[in-house]
Parts: sequence; C-alpha cells; structure tokens
Amino acid sequence: MRLALWWLGRAVSAAATLLGVSILIFAAVRMMPGGFAETILGPFATADQKAELADRYGLDQSVFVQYGHWLAAVARGDFGVSMISREPVVSELWARLPVTGQLTLFSVLIATLVGVPLGVLTAVRARRAAVGRLLSGLGVSVPEFVLGSLVVFLFSRYALGLPAGGYDNVRSLVLPSLVLSFFAISITARTTRDAVMGVLVEPYVTAAVARGESPWFIIRHHVLRNAAIPVVTLLATITAYLLGGALIVEYVFNLPGIGSYVVQAVGRRDYAVVQAGVLLAATVFIVLNLLVDLVVGLIDPRLGVTSKGRRA
Amino acid sequence: MKDWLTRAGMVCLGLIVLVALASVVNLAGDPDEIVGPRLAPPGPGYWLGTDNLGRSMLPRIMEGIATTLLLSSVAVLVTAALSAVLGIVAGYRGGVVNELIMRLVEVLYSFPAIVLAILVAAVFGPGQLAALASIVLVTIPLMTRLVRAAAVGVAQRDYVTAAIISGARLPRILGRHLLPNVAGTIAVQVTYALSVGIAVEGGLSFLGFGVQPPQASLGVLIQQGTTYMTAAPWMITGPGVVFVVAVLAINVVGDGLRDRFEPRQARSLV
Amino acid sequence: MTALLEVRDLAVEYDSGERRVRALDGADLTVAAGETIGIVGESGSGKSTLGSAVGRLLPSTANRVTGDVWLAGERVFDLPPAGIRRLRRERLGFVFQDPIASLDPTMRVGKQLKLVLGSKGDPLSHLDRVRLANPGRVARMYPHQLSGGMAQRVALAIAMACQPRLLIADEPTAALDAQVREEVLEVVFSVAAEAGTSIVWLSHDLTAVARRCSRVAVMYGGRVVEDGPAADVLGQPAHPYTAALARSAPAMASLGDRLSPVPGRPPVLAEASHGCAFEPRCPYAEERCAKERPELHVVRTQEALCHRATELVTAS
Repeated sequence: MRLALWWLGRAVSAAATLLGVSILIFAAVRMMPGGFAETILGPFATADQKAELADRYGLDQSVFVQYGHWLAAVARGDFGVSMISREPVVSELWARLPVTGQLTLFSVLIATLVGVPLGVLTAVRARRAAVGRLLSGLGVSVPEFVLGSLVVFLFSRYALGLPAGGYDNVRSLVLPSLVLSFFAISITARTTRDAVMGVLVEPYVTAAVARGESPWFIIRHHVLRNAAIPVVTLLATITAYLLGGALIVEYVFNLPGIGSYVVQAVGRRDYAVVQAGVLLAATVFIVLNLLVDLVVGLIDPRLGVTSKGRRA
Repeated sequence: MKDWLTRAGMVCLGLIVLVALASVVNLAGDPDEIVGPRLAPPGPGYWLGTDNLGRSMLPRIMEGIATTLLLSSVAVLVTAALSAVLGIVAGYRGGVVNELIMRLVEVLYSFPAIVLAILVAAVFGPGQLAALASIVLVTIPLMTRLVRAAAVGVAQRDYVTAAIISGARLPRILGRHLLPNVAGTIAVQVTYALSVGIAVEGGLSFLGFGVQPPQASLGVLIQQGTTYMTAAPWMITGPGVVFVVAVLAINVVGDGLRDRFEPRQARSLV
Repeated sequence: MTALLEVRDLAVEYDSGERRVRALDGADLTVAAGETIGIVGESGSGKSTLGSAVGRLLPSTANRVTGDVWLAGERVFDLPPAGIRRLRRERLGFVFQDPIASLDPTMRVGKQLKLVLGSKGDPLSHLDRVRLANPGRVARMYPHQLSGGMAQRVALAIAMACQPRLLIADEPTAALDAQVREEVLEVVFSVAAEAGTSIVWLSHDLTAVARRCSRVAVMYGGRVVEDGPAADVLGQPAHPYTAALARSAPAMASLGDRLSPVPGRPPVLAEASHGCAFEPRCPYAEERCAKERPELHVVRTQEALCHRATELVTAS
C-alpha cells in the first residue's frame, strides 16, 4: 500500500516529465530550419502534401492545437516519413532497434558484472586509494570516440580476429560493447565503491562487527543490500548514458543502429528521424527510471515514509 | 596520498591553460599555415608531424586546446550563473516556483548528453553556438539540482530566519546569505561540468556538428586524426592524449575540491 | 578468582595524519564475573575508546601504544581474526548509543534476530525476554518503524542472544526520553542479571550509573582516576575530580544547594601526560601534580590516582 502509493506518485511525476520532454521536442522541431512541414515531409514535398499536412496538424491554428495534433500523432506512433527513404520513421527505427538494443544491453551487463564486484572489492580493501582514483578517473576520461577509433584501428590493421566495423552477427557487437562499457564500468565501480564505503561506516555494520560476524557475512547480509540502493539508481542513469554513447560507438564502428541513423539524419537534415530518435531516447530513460524506482522501493522499506531525519 | 594527485592535476591544468594562452599569440606558429609535406612524421619545423594538408600539428593542437577550453569555460560559466539563480530561487522559495524549475531540470535531465547535443545541433545548425548551447543544457540539470539541495539546507538555518525577521530584502538574503553558502557546491560542480563540457564538445565536433574546420578544436582534431589513423598515427596521438589528460586532470581536481568542501571521513571496521 | 575482564596500562592514540590524540593514557580496569560496573566520564575522557578496545573494535586510525586487555583469560589484541570473532560472538555483547541506526534499515527485526540466532533460536522468545509487548508484531517491523526505546530493546535482544559473559553498553539511553530511559535501564540490568552477564555501562551521568551499578570507575584524561563501590564513590569521593563531578550533579544536591560546575575544560592529550591530567582544574593541585604521574592510592574502599588522595580524605 505504502509502496503502491509512492510508486503511483513517481509514475505521475514521470508522466509530467514525459509531457515536458514532448513540449521541448515539439518546440525544437518548430525551430528547426525549414519549419514544421519540412521536418515532417522533407523539402521536396508538393503543395498538395503540404496542404494535407497543414490540415492534419492544424498548422493554421494556434500553437497549442498544433501541439495537440502532433502529440496525438506521436502517441499513435506516427513520427512522419523519413525524407531520405520515404518510409515511415517508425519502421526505419524498428528495423534498427535490435542492434542498438543488444549493444546497450550487453554494455549494461558488462558494466554491472565487472563494475559492481570491482567497486565492492576496492571499497573493502581501501588501500592504494590514489591508484584506484587514477584508474577509475582514466576510465571516465577516455571518450568513446577515442577509444573506439583506437580499437577499430588496432583490430582492422592487425586482424586480431574480431570484426571491427559493420554488422554481420552478434560477434560484430563484441568490440563495440566492450568500448561502450569502458566508461560505464568505471562509473559503476566508483558508485559501488562510494556506496559500500558509506555503508561500512554505518552503526549497524559496527554492531555486526561487534557481534563477531565475519567480513564476508557482513557484506553479504548487510552491505550489499543497503549499498544496492544508490547502485540500482545509477543503473538507469548509466543506461541513458549508454544510449547516448551507443550513438557514437555505432558511428565509429559503422553499425546499422538507431544511433548512427540519427547521426546521419542530422547531417542529411532528415529531421523527422531526429525528433523520433531523441524522443525515443528520452522516453526510454524516463521509463527506466520509473522501473528503477520500483526496484529501489522494494529494497528500501523507508521509501514513501516521512522519516524522522536520517536520509530520505 | 591523494594530495599529490590533486596537486598533479592542478599542475596539468595550469599547463594546459598556459598552452592555450600561448596559442593565442601563435607562439608555436600559425595553425593554418602549411609548413611541410602532407602527413609528414614528426621532424624539424613540425615537431609533432603534419596533418593531411601539411599544417604543423603542434600549433593546431595548441589552437585546439584553446578553442575547446574557451568554449567549455564560457559554457560552464553560463551554466554556473543560471544554476546558481535557478537553484537558489528554487531552494529558497519552494512551492510552485521550485516545482516548475525542478520539472524543467528533470526534462533536460531525461536526455542522454550527446542526444540532447544532437537535438541542439539540429536546431541551431552545426557550429560553435550549437556546441556552446549543448554544453550549457547538458550541465545545467545536475548543477541546479545540487545547488538547490544545498540552498534548501541553508535556507532553514537560523541566521537566514534572523535576516528575514530583521527585514532584509530578498536579493540581499539570496546574495549575502545563500550564495556564499552554496559557493562550495558550485565550485566543485564547475570542475565536473568543465570535464563534461570538454567531452560534449569533443563528441559533437567528432560527429561533425560542433566546431567547424578549418578551426581546430580537440574534437575536430581527433575526428581528422581517426580518418588518417593508419597513415599518420601522430595526427590522433597528440590531440587524444591532451584530451584524456585534460579531462582526467579536471576530474582529479574536482575530487580534491569535493573532499575539501564536502569532507567525509571513512573509518570502517570491516 | 580470575577476573572476567582485565585492562592493564592501556594507551591508545588516534592518528588522523595531521593530529594525534591520545584517547587512553594508561587505563586500568578489572571486572569480575557477574559484576555491574559503571564507567563515568565527560566526552573525550576515553570511556568509549576503552569500551571499544575490549572488543578490539577500534577504527583503523587508532593504534594501541601500550598495555593489554584480557577477556575471559584471552589476550584480546593477540588473537587471530577468527579468534577475536569467536570471542565477540561468544563472550561479548555490545549495545550502542543510537539504537535505530544500529539496526539494518532494510531488514525486518525478526530476520535480523534470526541472522544472529541461526536456525536454533526462536526470535519471538528473545523479543519477549526484553519485555517487548506483542513480539510477533515487532518482529515484522522495520527499524524505522520502531520507537527509540523499542529499538534499544531489540538491540539488547540481539546483543544478549548468545548469552555473552560481558555486556558493554555505550550510553545506550542517552538518545532516549527520560521515562523510556528508566524502563530500558531496568530491562538491561534484569536481563543481564538473569543471564549472569557482567555489565560495563559507559555514561557521563554519575548519579544514574551509581544507582544501578555495584561499582563505579571514573575516567579522566584517558585514565581511570577512581574506582570503588558505587555508594562510596558517590558519597565520599576519593579523587578531587569525582568530588567536583558529584557537586555538579543536580540529582545529588539537596534543596537550596548551589550546583558548582567543574571549572575549566577537559584535556585533549597529544602525548602521555607528564603529571596528573586534572592538575590544571584541580583546587588542591600542588607542584608535583604537574610533574609526576600519580600512582594508585587505596583510600578506604576506593582506589584513586591522586598524589594527595590519602591526605585530602583524612583532612576532610
């Protein structure tokens, strides 16, 4: 009950944010060179097509009505037609979804499976803090486009056995996923480390030590669960970041995903695709955050309770 | 232990700023001048080699640093000013104002950084303005949130209440009592935002939507470097190393500042 | 009879890189089986460090300079990690100041007890033992749903779950309301008495401790400066500091008496004290008090670390 109410609140908030996102994108579309009609139809549309569009979206009416029409169309999954391919944008994106989806999913998995244990380990053995900081700092500081280019160069020049460019099958995603997860690993490790170290100084951990529990018992039963709260929260942010990073990695590795498609679209002024891609990324992020809230709500019994002090 | 790291980061950052200043007076030569054969390896006259047009890499890298640094710094200063106002007002006033500002921040926060940058580039058209606006929009949400959180804490303190009771005007309360107390938070976030700014400029210029050639920026240079990576690895090595060192140095300094402004001693028994 | 707990000449320093603080400066303490002893001192007197040292629960910034701790015949600081864990598990119980924070916030009370008891125990009986009404309901609650008094009882139930020989209570009632405080005190002492567990009760409240404990040890500047039967320490203090402390306690004063706070500030030692740590605040201080570390003097039923203890007591 408490959880359901809290989550309902979060859902309403997410819906409001999504609405704000749609307004922002609608405003951006109107501000794009060529305006609304060209964004949706492309520059070579006939006068008839434009009239039909003006009618459909109420272009002769107020901005609010236009927004309403636009939102209704988007809600139906109608993002207009790609100016290059003359295909509906939705089907274009749908065809490219598997590559982007797999790439992101693999990277999240790698980041979690490597980053979380790494973070726990470095938190428990907190010596050599400077080296750890330097390494994790390095992970955050090497951008995908540098690392990606380097990997493409090495693997294509010296034929190291893994495809580095183009897409044939899942093997083609191994290197891109590794490159994409590089940053995410260090940020996951860092957050996990901070979270674990934060929990390790909590009185209930001291109490467990005083009871004679072994370090691994304490980590398993008390630390992981409590430290999971910020880590799970981070996961949504990470995934969003990876969606952005996927765009660059797809571009570098020449993968036929949504990201590289949107990048091309900006270059070709295929704005219908741009608006759809951007809206998709933001929506995925908001929905993921909502899911994370649900998970955190299950882990943390204090959520949704007006607690007396001590963390919210 | 960590002190030497922070100090090293500051030294690196200082050097980078010096290099940027030196490039303004073309200390190492004109970045657009063709000085030798195309794609020549490092040699006399062009110590870091030449690019695909025969321009010396050294002054180009220096110009790249200057462009990127200037662009990011200006953008981050804009962010800091906007965030300070938005965050303090939201934290102090609360209510509907807070709700509106935070919703706006939430909306901006919902876009992955590079995706938002691409949307901006699509609206403004590729160029420096797009890069600048992107950096501002990408860095505003986090900084505003944190400034607000700090301001909420300060707004409840007794001396603020005392100032209100004594009849101080709103600008005075916000400027004299709240701003100094959230300045630490802003300082820490400015460093982090600067590294994000450099990354966004790099990513956007790499995709071709940021700074436009022939002007050099770190992103532009890295993009050109990848094209000629096989024939002229020196074209990407210099900009790549500088980019990583700059971001790393800024992050390390940011960590140092954070430890100083937001100390937290970890005395664990496990 | 061998003592349950023996602390000999224990000196502990905290080294935070820039500053060194000597929290314990040669503390001595003996606790017999079944005894209840209150350790009284201001904050910074070293009582919490002493309590932690018994379970070797000092943070990594602390190092033991001299001295030893024996618990149930074992040298606490010489045990291997597994040994100290066994000692904590079987012989020691701890109850801390902030009861809610010392429970895992993400776990129901019953499950936390079960984790300590293993498969053998029944959580409900342990909750019943600390006189929690409706143990079944409490077992299903999360820590943030408990009141301070309930949480401290739960913490006590967990600490006493394995029938320890010694319970160390570090100001466990300081965060509680006055009325709840009495109830919790009552529960702690009766549960310990039933189990034959000794209590070391750390507190800054001399009179409250003296009411419950059979013995009182007064700490100042990292040493135990006076140690004796509770009634005697409170009624006829042998150390000037204890006397000053007793005079400053509201509960000790008769109607119309003026309370006299102890003048000056408690010391923060950076190194071993050269003389008596109380010397700067002591109304009876003389030259040697600043130069010679006081030895143990037996005065009546008490032991006191004061050069002039015998002299002053005969004079009064």
